[in-house]
Amino acid sequence: MRSLIIAKKEIIDITRDKRTLLMMVAIPLLMVPVLMGTMMKIVSSQAEKASERQLKMKFVGQEHAPELYQSFANMDKVIMLDQIPVDSIQNYIQEEYLDAAIVVQGDYQHKIDQNGQAGIQILFKGTDSFGTAKDRIRAVLKVSEDQIVNKRMDRLNLKPDVVTAFNVQYQDVASKQEKLGKLAGGWLPYIFIIFGFMGAMYPALDLGSGEKERGTLETILSSPASRLDIVIGKFLVIMSAAFLTAFLALGGLVIGIQQISEIPPQVLTVVNEMFTFKTIAMIMTLVLPVSAFFSAMLLGLSIYARSFKEAQSIVAPLNIAIIFPAVMGTLPGVELNTFTAMIPILNVSLASKDIIAGAMNPLYMAEVYISLFGFAALSIWWCVRAFNKESTIFRH
Amino acid sequence: MIQVKNLIKDFTLNKKQRKEMGDEFKNTKILRAVDDISFECKPGRIFGLLGPNGAGKTTTLRMIATMLKPTSGTISVSDFDTVKAGQQVRSEIGFMTGQTALYDRLTPTEMVKYIADLHGMDKTSFEQRKNHIFDVLDMHEFADRRIARLSTGMKQKTSIARTIIHDPQVMVFDEPTSGLDVMTSRAIVDLIRSCREEGKTVIFSTHRMGEVNQVCDDIGIIYKGKLYFNDTLDQFKNEMTQPTFEEEFIYRVGEA
Repeated sequence: MRSLIIAKKEIIDITRDKRTLLMMVAIPLLMVPVLMGTMMKIVSSQAEKASERQLKMKFVGQEHAPELYQSFANMDKVIMLDQIPVDSIQNYIQEEYLDAAIVVQGDYQHKIDQNGQAGIQILFKGTDSFGTAKDRIRAVLKVSEDQIVNKRMDRLNLKPDVVTAFNVQYQDVASKQEKLGKLAGGWLPYIFIIFGFMGAMYPALDLGSGEKERGTLETILSSPASRLDIVIGKFLVIMSAAFLTAFLALGGLVIGIQQISEIPPQVLTVVNEMFTFKTIAMIMTLVLPVSAFFSAMLLGLSIYARSFKEAQSIVAPLNIAIIFPAVMGTLPGVELNTFTAMIPILNVSLASKDIIAGAMNPLYMAEVYISLFGFAALSIWWCVRAFNKESTIFRH
Repeated sequence: MIQVKNLIKDFTLNKKQRKEMGDEFKNTKILRAVDDISFECKPGRIFGLLGPNGAGKTTTLRMIATMLKPTSGTISVSDFDTVKAGQQVRSEIGFMTGQTALYDRLTPTEMVKYIADLHGMDKTSFEQRKNHIFDVLDMHEFADRRIARLSTGMKQKTSIARTIIHDPQVMVFDEPTSGLDVMTSRAIVDLIRSCREEGKTVIFSTHRMGEVNQVCDDIGIIYKGKLYFNDTLDQFKNEMTQPTFEEEFIYRVGEA
């Protein structure tokens, strides 16, 4: 009962702190959609700009392949810079004055006429993030090549099947939700794990080391509340903050996705189908024990610190320890198995990915819950122990 | 009533602490902060625990308030053992230090209510007691203002109110006037005196000799964890061989 009195007071206290509210509510709910929207806008406008851009090209050996030259000259948004000296091409591309150069050899026409392979060299700068120059050149070459091949086939009186022995049809049995879940599912838990941790961090520092710094720790230690009451009261508030922040980050993400006009409607439908009440509820059942784990760990460390500042420096490196397994979960090929299901944070990331994709293995999921609740219990026990340790609580 | 018998408190030092404390702790990990002390604080009397910084005053008071566990010896507060019946002991005491120890984002009313709730006070007795204290300390005007926006004097009053809201029978003051100006110190001294008038047991630690002379009935002189004097203030004065209180203290500690 006393733990609830402590929790009630702590809730009043932290909800009056602007920094906590900002971290807990405003940032996940507003910043996530704004950041997502802005990021998508920048990426799509850059991609659009890249595709709209006029390509500057140089064709070397125009006299040997006039038809091919013409195909390039007829391309949309292309300027052929014929005056560039051949020996400076590489430098021009390096310095991005020129986007690409097409070099054909003197024997081009001969090789084509003899049903041989004519060598064509394409020089381009691979750091062009959208690969537009290469793609556009490839498209022109494909059309020209197809025309030449078709002519050859006619001449030799052959059907196109002669050169395509297989008629391969790939049929993907994975649902759109599954594919999208596996592809983007890893990033979702990354966001709410990080936000959950951030949401727990500030209240934990305030409720632990902040109490020491203000001198109020002695006030509550000399009250009839037991150490367990104090830990439980504080822990409940920190865990709620972590849980709420993670939930709001997830909410912010859903809102953010709706705001992105660049997402094709059919993909958006799949995304909306993914975020059902059941999916969100299941993800939140993972967030709860992981929030408990974060909260108890942070509170234990915070009460060990002499001051708020020291607590901040102790907790800061922990960010990396949290981010690393969360990022691991986003990597392709990292899947939930008997081993990864036991690693906290990574297992949340991977299990969420499976929940979103709608492909859960009950055995692994059980293992994930056992591991998460186990670690949460362990960290709470450690935190209670820290509060009972005189050398921690009165560390000067 | 507080009864302290053969109280010992040892702290285990880590490597860094041993290094900081010099050669004396080269071969030992144990720091004896309180070394076999016994004394009694009676209801209606003020016991002053007098000693320089690091003498063991705070450690003793923290053990009385159950924040620290004695290594050996016993403490009973209103006949409750501090180790076996910690919660009952804490229900009996009001603990106050030099720091105001308040939550900046709460109001004085909320702060006092929080402590009252932890002491299990019902709503009616809380309201009555709160109104009485707020009347006496003239706190109504700022009762619903955030503590962060209060003046030092207002904060000190709030701190007093939260210490006495549950009407504790035993008051523990750990250097309550340390770092305070004359006016606020005066308010604390008045509080200590009023506790005596109400028949409460008061233990009060300080290193200011003047304060001891002002308020104490009984005194204990503590130095390096040992108790060098434990009797009434009058007896101390009778035994004085030095012209002033300060000089007598230095003389006794020096002799030790």
